[in-house]
Amino acid sequence: MIGLAGLLLGMGVHYGAVEEDHWPYPEADEIAGQPAEHIGEELFLFGTVTAVDADAETATIRVAASPESISITVQSFDRAAQSGGIVQVLGELTDARTVDADRVVVVNDSGGAEWYKYGVSVIGAIVVLIAFFRYWRIDTDSWSFGVRHDG
Amino acid sequence: MADLLSTVLVTYAAFTIASWWIDGLDRRWIVVAMGGAAIPDLVKIQILVEESTVENALGLPFDYAPVASVAGVAVAAGIIALCFGKRWRRKAYAVLVAGGGFSLLIDGMRVYADSFAGFYLYPLWVRPPTPNLFVSSDPAVLAVAMFVSAVTFGVDRWIR
Repeated sequence: MIGLAGLLLGMGVHYGAVEEDHWPYPEADEIAGQPAEHIGEELFLFGTVTAVDADAETATIRVAASPESISITVQSFDRAAQSGGIVQVLGELTDARTVDADRVVVVNDSGGAEWYKYGVSVIGAIVVLIAFFRYWRIDTDSWSFGVRHDG
Repeated sequence: MADLLSTVLVTYAAFTIASWWIDGLDRRWIVVAMGGAAIPDLVKIQILVEESTVENALGLPFDYAPVASVAGVAVAAGIIALCFGKRWRRKAYAVLVAGGGFSLLIDGMRVYADSFAGFYLYPLWVRPPTPNLFVSSDPAVLAVAMFVSAVTFGVDRWIR
């Protein structure tokens, strides 16, 4: 079991190390460091909305990057979202911190939607546990799951 | 990931319907499949412990994403299956993997701006196309999941 847990951790390290070689777009870290090298390239960003100007169809989003997150101005932002919402942006990097969007997807329209998801997920976890222990029990002799006979 | 409640309810419905034809897939194994479907949702641990915290602790790059992949489900299901009594282990592993795989399939239908899902087939570096059916925090997903599972529950009680 410890071996399998180690394997799981190892996969996390492997994935973290090589994912950017396989992701078809420049990573946010690269935009944070050397934006000039990527001007004119297509980006796929995941970010948190910090400001929206609906009339001008622009928004500012915060994108997680290392060593620190970056703020990107998104033009052609044609979706309704509020500050705190989470969006996906596919578009061209036109200058160091500006993207002209081809497609914007609103994942959460506000910060509250994220809490909704987590709250409902906690209920989901409770449902799984209750359902599981209706049919299974912990056998205290072997400390393993066994079938409940009254279930 | 979609919210875990929707994932679990849809898994309940799918495995209950499958149980009408598959012998040996009874209610106590349907709940194990529901548990398997929760495995990819373990990526949400990042809310409690950020990836950067793990990276600093290990001194290595780190990503939670493999938990929500074919390889992650195969290994995590192994860990959970070892918690079952000896005589249940093999079947528990198979059912956990089936539940986890089903959950990945559902999650692979989530919206991506370029219509290709994440690397959930890891260790294969392939982004399968997604039909862009839903976004992860859409309450309509839960409404559909509740309706489908309620109808399935009703039919299941009626035919058995």
